Amino acid sequence: MFDPQQIRTHFPIFSHRPELIYLDNAATTQKPISVIRAISDFYEKENTNVHRGIYEMAASTSQKYEEVRQKTADFIGAAKKEEIVFTSGTTASINLVAQSFLIPRLETGDEVVISMMEHHVNLIPWQQACKLKGAKLVVAPINKAGELDLKIFKSLLSERTKLVAVTHVSNTLGTINPIGEILEMAHKRDIPVLVDGAQSAAHFDIDVEAWDVDFFVFSGHKMYGPTGVGILYGKEEHFTKMLPVHFGGNAIREVRFEETVFALPPRCFEPGTPNIAGVIGFGQAIDFVSSFDKKGVKYHLQRLTELATEKLQKVKGVKIVGTAKNKSPVISFTLGNVHPHDVATFLGAENIAVRAGHHCTQPLMDFYKIPGTSRISFAIYNTMEEVERMAIVIKEIQRFFNGR
Amino acid sequence: MDDKLKELYKSVILEHDRSPFNYNKNESAEHIIQAYNEICGDRFDIFFDVKNGVISNICFHGYGCAISKASTSILIKKIKGQPIDDAKKIVDLFLNNIIVNNSNEIKDEEFTAFSAAREFPARLKCATLAWDEMNKFLTVNGK
Repeated sequence: MFDPQQIRTHFPIFSHRPELIYLDNAATTQKPISVIRAISDFYEKENTNVHRGIYEMAASTSQKYEEVRQKTADFIGAAKKEEIVFTSGTTASINLVAQSFLIPRLETGDEVVISMMEHHVNLIPWQQACKLKGAKLVVAPINKAGELDLKIFKSLLSERTKLVAVTHVSNTLGTINPIGEILEMAHKRDIPVLVDGAQSAAHFDIDVEAWDVDFFVFSGHKMYGPTGVGILYGKEEHFTKMLPVHFGGNAIREVRFEETVFALPPRCFEPGTPNIAGVIGFGQAIDFVSSFDKKGVKYHLQRLTELATEKLQKVKGVKIVGTAKNKSPVISFTLGNVHPHDVATFLGAENIAVRAGHHCTQPLMDFYKIPGTSRISFAIYNTMEEVERMAIVIKEIQRFFNGR
Repeated sequence: MDDKLKELYKSVILEHDRSPFNYNKNESAEHIIQAYNEICGDRFDIFFDVKNGVISNICFHGYGCAISKASTSILIKKIKGQPIDDAKKIVDLFLNNIIVNNSNEIKDEEFTAFSAAREFPARLKCATLAWDEMNKFLTVNGK
């Protein structure tokens, strides 16, 4: 039986702050004790560098680090652990693909297709690459509900398209994009596809091999893991043709003053000392997420989302932004003329943590002709009581600003 | 409701939020200052002329939270028709005595309403956004 109260006991932050109602999970999730312990245990008991030491403790660290690579591959259904690169986060993962994969292949007149709902990080690296190479960034439109129009999307793909980059789940609207259909369309034209899984990795079924996706990127900290750990999954056939863009120790086979032979992927993309403790903590986060029945999690999050939607819609002046049929547990809304930061300050005073602003999706805000929204986003430890409380406070805010 | 919140959202702030002072655009103004907070996207344009060293025809337009809008509105009201040097004194008074020191000697409610922002560090910038930008202008253009 799925019991959020029981799940909360895994998260020390809720015993330190019993009054906290944390509804900012799309920004970052809280960390379970197993993740925190793994990190402090590493530093306390076995801190060494990886890939270099001969002594037993160092060899053991290297082994643990590589075990998490295998665990990550299994978690997302990758065929080989060599298809997993550890980065500092989704941002670094996308930038690496832009610089190492796209830019060398991009020519004047080429195109990169993204969607209107992309987070700034799945926009700017492509935009800058296009500027550099005289290529064009093509933006697939969405409807008012916040859904992609697949017919239009298809029509934007051509022999000029060198990459499609879309988010699996929108961090602002909660829209779940039809990744399978997008991949099929693109692959019919041999266009590689990058999927941004920052918002989906924690709670969705990910199967990169079955999807046949070219690149899949996500962050550890949005799935109960530490900050500073990200994943770049790339097909072996791509990785072996990509050259590193960041250089340093650990990523090489042989170095002479005249020339360097780089290590094979994924090592060549991980120069320098990696975030070892973070990766080990991330391994625990995978174990934590994997310990739950995905169906149970999905059902719980859906109930929270439905209740919150229903309660919010009853508050005068609330307008939910992003009403896709297929939605993740993210709800963005505006409250009449009340600025999202005023909403967030009031909620904050009641110990309710939400995000307010443009959520790193300014062009999307422009599309809706709003400067920002308040956003609530759920994780496995949220409860129906928290949703009820949040709705009551929103009602109070509405009354305070407009009710008199 | 939380007492600190009541302090922050005093009626004087809500009044200025609902009916801001000289709230309109004047693209042909001699000076247009942009007060922009890239963290939250709040943005106000302040339009004014300086005639014989006196600030005139001042108005503002833009988008922001209740705090930033009210504080901009009060800035406009306070420095309207003031010589640059006097305007600078008013801005210094606000920034130094209300925001930094929370001086008890100032009784003007349009100023003191913002001292509560000190309790909300994330919102302090909202209270000073337009004042900081105006301060830059006055410092450069004063004596």
